[in-house]
Amino acid sequence: MSTNNSSQAHPRGALVYYVRDVVKTRESEGVAFRLKVPSLQIAMGEKIALVGESGCGKSTLLDILAFILKPSSVGAFRFRPERDGDPLDMDAYWKAGRLNQLGDLRKRYLGYVMQTGGLLPYLTVRENMDLCRNVLGLAQDGTIEHLAEQLGIAKHLNKLPEALSTGERQRVAIGRALAHRPSIVIADEPTASLDPYAAQKIMAHFMELVEELNITVILASHAWRHIKELGLRRLHHRTFRSEDRNLTETIVSG
Amino acid sequence: MSVPLRKVFALASRDYVHEWQMSVCFVLALAAVLGPMLVLFGLKFGIVGAMIDQLIEDPGNREIRPVSSGRYDRSWLESVRRRPDVSFLVPRTRSIAATIELSSEDSSRHVRVELIPSDQGDPMLSPRGDRPEGVTRIVLSRSAAEKLQVAAGDTLDGSLARQYRGQKERVHLPLTVAAVAPARAFARDGAFVSVNLLEALEDFRDGRAVPRMGWSGDRENSIRTYPSFRLYARSIYDVAALRDAFANLGVDVHTHAAEIELVQRMNRNLTAIYWIIAVIGLFGFSLSLGASLWANVDRKRKELSVLRLVGFRTMDIAWFPMVQALYTAILGWALAVGLYLLVAGVINQMMASQLGQGQQVCQLLPHHYGIALALTCAAAVIAAGLAGLRSAHIEPSASLRDL
Repeated sequence: MSTNNSSQAHPRGALVYYVRDVVKTRESEGVAFRLKVPSLQIAMGEKIALVGESGCGKSTLLDILAFILKPSSVGAFRFRPERDGDPLDMDAYWKAGRLNQLGDLRKRYLGYVMQTGGLLPYLTVRENMDLCRNVLGLAQDGTIEHLAEQLGIAKHLNKLPEALSTGERQRVAIGRALAHRPSIVIADEPTASLDPYAAQKIMAHFMELVEELNITVILASHAWRHIKELGLRRLHHRTFRSEDRNLTETIVSG
Repeated sequence: MSVPLRKVFALASRDYVHEWQMSVCFVLALAAVLGPMLVLFGLKFGIVGAMIDQLIEDPGNREIRPVSSGRYDRSWLESVRRRPDVSFLVPRTRSIAATIELSSEDSSRHVRVELIPSDQGDPMLSPRGDRPEGVTRIVLSRSAAEKLQVAAGDTLDGSLARQYRGQKERVHLPLTVAAVAPARAFARDGAFVSVNLLEALEDFRDGRAVPRMGWSGDRENSIRTYPSFRLYARSIYDVAALRDAFANLGVDVHTHAAEIELVQRMNRNLTAIYWIIAVIGLFGFSLSLGASLWANVDRKRKELSVLRLVGFRTMDIAWFPMVQALYTAILGWALAVGLYLLVAGVINQMMASQLGQGQQVCQLLPHHYGIALALTCAAAVIAAGLAGLRSAHIEPSASLRDL
């Protein structure tokens, strides 16, 4: 079952993220980068795509949405992980320096798929996939085996990541991000390091799983043509460069 | 909602085992510092210990002898004997009168022996052996017993002579060998006898009557004084204080205080030198472990970021280098102890011929190992604490895409 259409029809029905006037500025060696988000609303169960060339600020936005990067200034930044719960003021968390509480929110509600694996080399595939469940104290209930089966890595469960190909590792990373049934999965170019065929197959699996589990997805990709078949809502963004090329500014809204 | 410590431990352990080459290097580096330090301390402790043992074992080191003869009466000697730091005191009679000629049935030889005043608790005599008693039971020195060919229980004839009123007189007295003293007690021909017997012999030589022995002579009732005494301090550590006490009383004494002080000073100096080396070594080790753990945090930045990302708290992350440093400390310590035992065994074997039974040049007590382990763990934890603090400040977003 998909909540995709309904959430787009009623964007304010059950918002997971409500972001207004969030700015992140970064500066290094005289070159400045600025991400501006005048308005962004993401509803529960939505599948969002953020498309743009590298360096445009996709990862910056994803990191802000994953509470691992502190915004420079905030108009409003609210997060409501549970449909019946009160929205949480993320700006207040950051301002109070409550990093451990942010970590707890990530642990409970977020799954994160990195561009390249990010698996712990000293844990087996099974243990890597079980990492989030393990720290949450969730029992072994066959979820890992089922996920591995669906992702086509069941026969690798007891191997270390180093024995796997890049594509297989990426499947493990996806499995890890989904295993603890998070409300939101954030994926930063999860298939960028794979060949197009493998990438397509893995993304198809990924979308199937998030549909099945009714998970909100925020996906970054550098090419729309790779993902346009997946039925995602595309966020609009514009990137400007100053004439001396010393300032890059990206404005995202949606 | 921090991650249970058990899980943090499990993860840190898995990482430590997975990177076993790295871990082995840390452990070897620690053992390379700690092992020689243990050997050094073992040598210091063993050598100084053996020297102190030798000092303590030989009661001769506790002896305090007046340099020149004086006039000491019984009450003065009694007051000295009652001092808590004095373990044994008997008066000496004039040494010129303190000899006797002995002969036995088995040997035709007459042996002139020196007489040493003795009593219950004489430290030079075996604590289990019989003591000299009364005017008949005496303890022979080893050399005298050999010359006379007698053993404990045998009887001897003692004889002594004097010039009395222009005539030479000789008396005989029957003696019994109560025991033979250990060889170290007295190197020459001698006999340990009661003060009573010595007093009788001195009186006889001085021409006085000794009624209980049946020897006639002048009857003078002067108060007896003694020219000297045999005194042993309670322990070698009391010798210096006793020497000073006698100096205050105007009695010049000969002691082994200088040798004892030499050993004590050597012990102090060696201990100081050892601690300087140990502190430098341990400091160097902490620094090197700290540096490698610090660098490790950089190397593992991405892995630690992943843990941060899945919700590990600051403290959970800080435990990582701590747990791993503790592993290094315990394994490195165990390896160092193994090395020490090996080297100490070899050293002791090499020196065995020059040492007494049961003596060891290189020696540690069980609690020394414990102290070494505690110090190592403390140094490792301090080093890891700094690294842990650093790992806790990892910004996940900055490190996730490094690799």
